[in-house]
Amino acid sequence: MFGLAIGFLSPWLLMGLLALPVIWWLLRLTPPRPQEEVFPPAGILEKLIKPEETPAKSPWWLTLLRLMMTALVICAMAGPILNPQESLLEGEGPVLIVIDDGWAAAGNWDERREVALTLAAQAREAGRTVILESTTNSTPWDGRPVSAEEAIKLLEAAQNQPLKPNHKNTATRILTNAIQAKPGHIAWLSDGLSRSDTSNLIAALKTVNTGRSLYLPPANELVIIDAVQNLPAKLRGTLVRGNTNEAREISITGRDLKGVVLARRKIMFENGVSETEFAFDEPVELRNQIARLELDDINNAGAVQLLDESNQRRLVGLISGEKHDQSQPLLSPLYYISKALEPFSDLRRSDDANVAASVPQLLAQGVSAIVLADIGLLPEEAADTLGEWVSKGGMLIRFAGPRLAVSPDRRLLPVDIRPGDRSLGGALSWETPKPVAPFELQSPFSGIDAPREVVVNKQVLALQESDLESKTWATLEDGTPLVTAEQRDHGWIVLFHVSSDARWSNLPLSGTFVEMLRRVVNLSKSTGRPITEREEISLSPLRLLDGKGNFVAPGISVKPLTLSAEHEPTVSLENPPGFYGTEDGFTALNLFTGQTKLALLNPEDLGPGFNRQSYLGESPFDLKPWLLLVAAILLALDCLAVFWMGGALRLRQLHPRSPTPAIIVLLGIGAMLLSTGITHAQENEIDFSAALRTRLAYVITGVKSVDNLSAAGMRGLTYFLSNRTALEPGEPVGLDMSTDELAFYSLIYWPIDPQAAIPDAATMARVDAYMKEGGSILFDTRDQISGVFGGTSASPAALSLRQILSNLDIPPLEPVPSDHVLTKSFFLIDSFPGRFSGGDLWIEASQKSAEQDGRPARAGDGVSSILITSNDFAGAWAVDRNLRPLLPTVPPDPIQRNYAFRGGVNLMMYALTGNYKADQVHLPALLERLGQ
Amino acid sequence: MVDPEFFHAANLPLVGHSPMSPAIGTSTRRETGREIMGRARARAALIPDLLVEARRVANTVFSGWHGRRKRGVGENFWQFRPYVVGETMARIDWRRSARDNNIYVQDKEWQAAHTIWLWVDESPSMLFKSDLGTVAKQSRAMVLAFAMAELLARSGERTGWMGVSRPLLSRNAAEKLAEHLAVAPVQTEFPAGSDLGNHCDLIIFSDFLDPVETTVSRLAELAKSGVRGHLVHLIDPVEETFPYKGRVEFQDPESGAKIIAGNAETLQQAYSAEFASRSTALRQTTTDLGWSYTKHHTDRLASEALVALHTHLGSSVTGGQ
Repeated sequence: MFGLAIGFLSPWLLMGLLALPVIWWLLRLTPPRPQEEVFPPAGILEKLIKPEETPAKSPWWLTLLRLMMTALVICAMAGPILNPQESLLEGEGPVLIVIDDGWAAAGNWDERREVALTLAAQAREAGRTVILESTTNSTPWDGRPVSAEEAIKLLEAAQNQPLKPNHKNTATRILTNAIQAKPGHIAWLSDGLSRSDTSNLIAALKTVNTGRSLYLPPANELVIIDAVQNLPAKLRGTLVRGNTNEAREISITGRDLKGVVLARRKIMFENGVSETEFAFDEPVELRNQIARLELDDINNAGAVQLLDESNQRRLVGLISGEKHDQSQPLLSPLYYISKALEPFSDLRRSDDANVAASVPQLLAQGVSAIVLADIGLLPEEAADTLGEWVSKGGMLIRFAGPRLAVSPDRRLLPVDIRPGDRSLGGALSWETPKPVAPFELQSPFSGIDAPREVVVNKQVLALQESDLESKTWATLEDGTPLVTAEQRDHGWIVLFHVSSDARWSNLPLSGTFVEMLRRVVNLSKSTGRPITEREEISLSPLRLLDGKGNFVAPGISVKPLTLSAEHEPTVSLENPPGFYGTEDGFTALNLFTGQTKLALLNPEDLGPGFNRQSYLGESPFDLKPWLLLVAAILLALDCLAVFWMGGALRLRQLHPRSPTPAIIVLLGIGAMLLSTGITHAQENEIDFSAALRTRLAYVITGVKSVDNLSAAGMRGLTYFLSNRTALEPGEPVGLDMSTDELAFYSLIYWPIDPQAAIPDAATMARVDAYMKEGGSILFDTRDQISGVFGGTSASPAALSLRQILSNLDIPPLEPVPSDHVLTKSFFLIDSFPGRFSGGDLWIEASQKSAEQDGRPARAGDGVSSILITSNDFAGAWAVDRNLRPLLPTVPPDPIQRNYAFRGGVNLMMYALTGNYKADQVHLPALLERLGQ
Repeated sequence: MVDPEFFHAANLPLVGHSPMSPAIGTSTRRETGREIMGRARARAALIPDLLVEARRVANTVFSGWHGRRKRGVGENFWQFRPYVVGETMARIDWRRSARDNNIYVQDKEWQAAHTIWLWVDESPSMLFKSDLGTVAKQSRAMVLAFAMAELLARSGERTGWMGVSRPLLSRNAAEKLAEHLAVAPVQTEFPAGSDLGNHCDLIIFSDFLDPVETTVSRLAELAKSGVRGHLVHLIDPVEETFPYKGRVEFQDPESGAKIIAGNAETLQQAYSAEFASRSTALRQTTTDLGWSYTKHHTDRLASEALVALHTHLGSSVTGGQ
């Protein structure tokens, strides 16, 4: 368990390692494959090389690699096992496995189950049956021997429960069932805690004289939350732990129903202390929202306490000073209060108009708060009862009104009030009605926006006292109190200095009133729903805890929680801890409700006969497949190395006609996958800039040298155009005819290379559309010099061009006539040389009509959509980065290059301006008509 | 300034060699006339017209286009001279004779074509191309041969290709030769016993890797028939520098024989000396025969060899007059 424990199934095989030196010697002798070279003058070498040839040595790393490979295979064959495990079982006969599967097992449940599975697996190997027993009795195990396979299945499905183990019942079951089967070995997978009934179990296990093993968790870290109370001042509870040996810091977190952290405390356990208290003194608003307390980093059902108090609907009793007037409900003092309280509390009205009778009636119903609306004089008896109730934690909410204002009874009021009321903004007053001032931070109302629309016309005034300010929860703008409150022992008395109807102020009409009442009522202590003796309430499960303390949906075995006056609800398999009820009001059922002690199970107390074990962290691990895997990887590396040394992996020179197929295909696929997204983005960008600026364009043929030349040629022509003409094209762009948008380019240069792929029909359809929409394409076969043999056959480039054009709708062509506008569109030229001279430039044949005779320029309608040359224009235009020509013209003649550039300018001007130049022949006539 | 090998520059391999790097040399595919033609023409365009040394031009029935600057058979006017009795009456120029009392004969300028044979060794060893050379030897030899053919045709010489075509006198002789070559069998051996005729020139493009003795005896045989030979010795740079290292297996592309060198770098000196001695032997032989010898490395420009050949073929024309 500690360090690396490695055992071998067949250690004698390790003798094979002795052979390693021999293998090393053999490996050193094998020469690597020589470099192969074609060498025509090999005959000369034959004279020079002596016949004997000593074997060269392998590189040392290759030898090392092979030796390691051999050693690994030998080791793997010997069957190494990490953490070899000895047999855990003794004796013969069924194996009894007792598992503590309660809440305390949650921390190391997986290890526990692993141990149980190991035991069952060993029982299977030994052919023994297995008896399973769970101390919570939450499993379908019936305590009878089952086959080991079935036991494994049962164990795989087992989960620990949020329940307390019952060792007494377990002992009974074991005595009745398991012991009858005469178990040969007993294993108790304990959770490490000793309970009051644990001795029963120990006794039961000792009844048979067999091998016994006791499994204990390595260190008992269990801590639980117990006895949580939400008092008005603070939320407090106790933390209990079993292991008291060391000081420990525990973090406790309070969350609301949605799991949001509301409060967190760090609690320190001193050394030797088993219980410590904690308290949350957050504002009551926040505290009341806490629904779940949990210990961080401790995952079991005991470390979670659920709180229901704050979320229960309060019972609020209403008592009014006047009779209900059903005909004018809006004038009833309780009307607005009822409307404001209804959404979040249960209202109780007294049936009796008599206050003295109604108060005990309401108190008997267990109200949390009582609202007294404009009751001035309280009967003596009722006042005493109420006072007592308040000091026990009741919440008394009083509203002023005409009666209270004149009443001399000053009992059960938070502050002393002036007799009479104060009128604001009346006919006889200088003052105007007062709005409510913003709520102070320490007030329970803080956070509520002060209602600007609320004005108070009338109020009762408090007598000036030294502690008035501290009792004031809300004031008017002039500082007079609107709401005052006083705490009496555990309870509160709250006074609204206005009436509860709309006569004194419009506060009861505002939404703020609802919010204020909610805050006030929430302050009150929930009394819980009182259950009368005969009543039984059934609550359906809402959210339940699992063994690890997480909320889960109720399972099928869960039954509704029955509350009755007789007994407290207890946690059982049918009623696991959790929330029961509905979202609006629910009851929490907790595992621990107070006075819990955790005692550790001391192995010494068990007496002899228990073989103490601990849950193994490590299980046996077969290293053989992994060693073989590493050896296989080394073998693959060795193969690669041999291939590499033999030259099989060399990248062959990529020849356009004979590419290394696999590499090209792989690279191609990779590039396609990578580039599809990129080119798409780029495409739009290029389109965008192309639409804004004229650019020269060429077709990317896929033959690298041709494309480079085209790019350089376009660059050269761009430079020439910028220098000589008003046209300043942008950076030239290479086009993929199959995908790129062509509409932005007036002239596209298309070099024909026999090696380039012929575009498919779809691409040619695009090209056809482009040409029909007014674009021009300049085809260049670039083969004028390598020529046509005797004119009898076409050159490969010409054949290629023919194939391309076969898909296009091509008009009749002619060589550029000497009077064509193309010869005059910028420079006056008579031929169109490129790198070669002599080839003709072919364009669409223009109709020669009689009327055009005598004109200096002839033009067809529109621009020729196709131009064909064989003079290698791009070759003549091509310049390098320093604007020096890349290729010589044939013959080497600087004038020819200049003419080539001029031809290019004319072509571009022709493509851009069309017949404009031809139309200019009319200019003299036009000027004459204008009288210039 | 300009890289005439632009089309090949794109395919230039990396130069460099380590014991485990890819092989230095490879056998390339055979290039044919069509592809070579454009490159050859580009080379030929750089060279001025070539007039084959007239001294060597014997009387021949074939008329060429080049005036030999002396009286003879031709079409262009050369001179009027007095009629000598015995000459045929048909040669009298009556128009000139009518102007005075003498009778004149119009002489034409002698226009004669010279016959020049080309032969390119296309044996497998010629297909060798190393990382250091720009093209294969065969490719370079073809370019040179076609460029020569183009040049010669431009000058009106008769150009033939040993084993492929008889001598042609045509402006587009180079193209025609290429057409013939396209259908002719591959020339791996010098055509033995072929009748070249007297007083013609023969340009042999080869790597001359056969044993030196064989080559020398073959050349001597040719020289007996009065042929003036021009050897162009094509060498891949690797064949001369021998940059191999470590354990290398050399394969002869012609015979397929393999030979393993354990430490190739130790052979370098001995090999270079041996290779140089072969070149020297060849040069000596040609000097003895009165022939010319041009060594050409494939990493150099083709034009260099062309200029050298041009000099050898036309030396006396420029130097003599």
